[in-house]
Amino acid sequence: MFTLISIELYKIFRKWRTYIGFIAIGILVPIIHIAMIYEGKNTIDFMTRNIQQSFIFVGNLLNTYLISYIVLNSLTVHIPFLITLVGGDLLAGEATAGTYRLMLTRPITREKFVTAKFIAGVIYTNLLIFWLALMSLVVGYFIFGVGELLIIRGDMIIIFEKEDILWRFVGAYGYASLGMTVVASLSFLFSSLVENAIGPIVSTMAVIIVFVIISAINVDLLQSIKPYLFTNYISSWQLFFDQPVDFNEILKSIGILILHILIFFGATLIIFRRKDILT
Amino acid sequence: MKSVNSELVIEIKNLSKSFKNLIAVDNLNINVFQGDVFGFLGPNGAGKSTTIRMLLTLIKPNKGSIKIFGKDLFKERLSILRNIGAIVEKPDFYGYLPAIKNLEIVSKISGHDISKKRIMEVLELVGLAERYKSKVKTFSHGMKQRLGIAQALLHNPDLIILDEPTTGLDPMGMKEIRDLIIHLSRDLKKTIFLSSHILYEVEQVANRMIIIYKGTARVEGNVKDLLNATNLAVTFEVNDSEKAKDILNETRWKEKLKNVSGQKLEFNIENHEIASLNKYFVEYGVDVYSIIPTRSLEEYFLKITQETN
Amino acid sequence: MKKMILLIIITVIEIFPQQKIADELINSVIANFNTVKDYEVDVEIKVDVEFLKVPDSKAKIYFKQPDKIRLKSEGFALLPKEGLNFSPSVLSKKDYTAIYERDVLLNGVKTSVVKVIPIGEQSNIILSTLWIDPVRKLIRKVESTTKTNGTFVIELFYSDNFKYPLPEQMTFTFNIDKMNLPKAFTSDGNPPKKKKRMPDAPTKGIVVVKYSNYKVNTGLADNIFEEH
Repeated sequence: MFTLISIELYKIFRKWRTYIGFIAIGILVPIIHIAMIYEGKNTIDFMTRNIQQSFIFVGNLLNTYLISYIVLNSLTVHIPFLITLVGGDLLAGEATAGTYRLMLTRPITREKFVTAKFIAGVIYTNLLIFWLALMSLVVGYFIFGVGELLIIRGDMIIIFEKEDILWRFVGAYGYASLGMTVVASLSFLFSSLVENAIGPIVSTMAVIIVFVIISAINVDLLQSIKPYLFTNYISSWQLFFDQPVDFNEILKSIGILILHILIFFGATLIIFRRKDILT
Repeated sequence: MKSVNSELVIEIKNLSKSFKNLIAVDNLNINVFQGDVFGFLGPNGAGKSTTIRMLLTLIKPNKGSIKIFGKDLFKERLSILRNIGAIVEKPDFYGYLPAIKNLEIVSKISGHDISKKRIMEVLELVGLAERYKSKVKTFSHGMKQRLGIAQALLHNPDLIILDEPTTGLDPMGMKEIRDLIIHLSRDLKKTIFLSSHILYEVEQVANRMIIIYKGTARVEGNVKDLLNATNLAVTFEVNDSEKAKDILNETRWKEKLKNVSGQKLEFNIENHEIASLNKYFVEYGVDVYSIIPTRSLEEYFLKITQETN
Repeated sequence: MKKMILLIIITVIEIFPQQKIADELINSVIANFNTVKDYEVDVEIKVDVEFLKVPDSKAKIYFKQPDKIRLKSEGFALLPKEGLNFSPSVLSKKDYTAIYERDVLLNGVKTSVVKVIPIGEQSNIILSTLWIDPVRKLIRKVESTTKTNGTFVIELFYSDNFKYPLPEQMTFTFNIDKMNLPKAFTSDGNPPKKKKRMPDAPTKGIVVVKYSNYKVNTGLADNIFEEH
């Protein structure tokens, strides 16, 4: 199994498309950093415009925490695309290349093959989120330092103490990894159904976009189905930035995400076991 | 070439597979014995690849059983696959990886301990040793075909399944592959299951063969026997086919006349009858322009190939 | 007509003494406060506002006569503007009319209630009520109605054995309309949750500031009050 996973990782990291995600984040986050160097004060002013009317405050609000929070917030819709680029290719890519024939005529079970691929995909996903954390939090630390984090949640302004933030980010990135793993497993499922990687990439993104739009439309009917859409839980990393943190809610969301991963992966396994390899 | 050993290596019984409305393989029975070079012949789309994919567990049959090395393929898949090397259709590899990396990946999951030395050995055998570091996407079709053979031989399997291994090769390459198959069979005592749509190719290397068409077996047997069949199809091209037909009436030749098209008359006669039929025509004033004997198997194969195309 | 004149005379006679008393009270407070030329104090700030979750913070406040004031902190600290800016020295500008109302007991201490009405349009405050301790010459409570930020109440508590008229605790209570928060950077994908709170009900907030470790009249340099 370990051999298979290492083979799959080797294949993933020898592909150019794998690095698109890392490069995209590696360019985008520093751009945000540079923008924040010049415009950060305005951003803070904008965010605190209303409290400034009645309050006077001091402190370093323009810090790596704020920027990492903004980055995480704005990228949760876009990182799935980077994940599906690789996830959607995992199985369909082999179908397109005809290399199923090379691999599956060997003395390995299909279950192991699929599981190894899935694990490799999950590792890629986690590395991408780790890279995001590294780029935003660690690089940001050297530019902006740390400080209190001011965020606006719903109609609430929350300011966290400096010492009370890092663990929230660890939790948030961990949770984001899990959320992205759901995306990876969905694209993996689609990937097992077709013979071309474009299909799974497009359909995974279509599902996410449709779900996100449904969630965002404030109509009672649509809001009532919202709890059943997994995309709703992908952004729940924000629960770590509640005061106080509702760990029950987080555990519930984690449970839902894991359930999705199990269902998507289980379905892939069943489909792939029965699949006739025709390419 | 007789079967070296009567031990069954592949035993296919009542194998059927259909895709939606298309019946790809219909109640197929095949026996391949140890040491055979077994020709699996059929025009494109006859069901050859589907059968080979079932032999390699890429496709699940709807019906029937496959035993390889005396074991049920779907129950003892892993131990069976350890001893099979195969090319299925066109040889595809990870184009973004070098040839050697492709072989390394394959050897890691072959169920055998394969050294780097062995990999280079096999690359040497197929004449790719100098290009081992090149990415496969830079390879020509012929080179990929040879790399395909390399990956099939890597773990020194007892049974080698080759699906149209000469497709897309130039005549020189085709000959090389045929020589290699003969070497594997004669010197290394491998059992080879060779699919082809070219009768000539099978004739060159196989000792036993089967022709399948539209998913069912049509002709089966020893290659030599099948091709040395006494019955020949002989086509006489004459100046006046009506007149020829007339003079044949009431003679023993009439029932041997199979077909008339234009000025061509086709007979099912034996070798020694050609001369006397020719004499008969000449005696009765029918000019014979040409006499073309065709082996019936060849003719039959040509016919089904043309039908398919 | 005569009655009208009489009424005006009576009113003026009535008001003049009241205004006089009010001015005297305020002047005594100012005079008392003027013994403080500058000070530096550690503060602990507790903010309890429904829409604002802020950790308790520690900061330093610097003050220098007549009106220099600055909040400094290692970390984040937040104070209501009116709470920070309020000091008796504001009253020395005399841009208001003050009227003495009556004496009342406030937390067991006798205080004189004085209404202060700013003159002119510039001031954000429409009306302030001061509870002045005539004995210790201290302001113990302020209630102000502003044009934009609703009403706020400042209660000041003093230590008995501190010689300067500086509080050891301030409680700042205010009512303001719900703020419209900027939506940027809040896009958590979720529309704002429907809260139990009525949408436009004014929000009540309390900020408690505890002062300790006063350093008075140490001659603070002006540059402390400059923005970096």
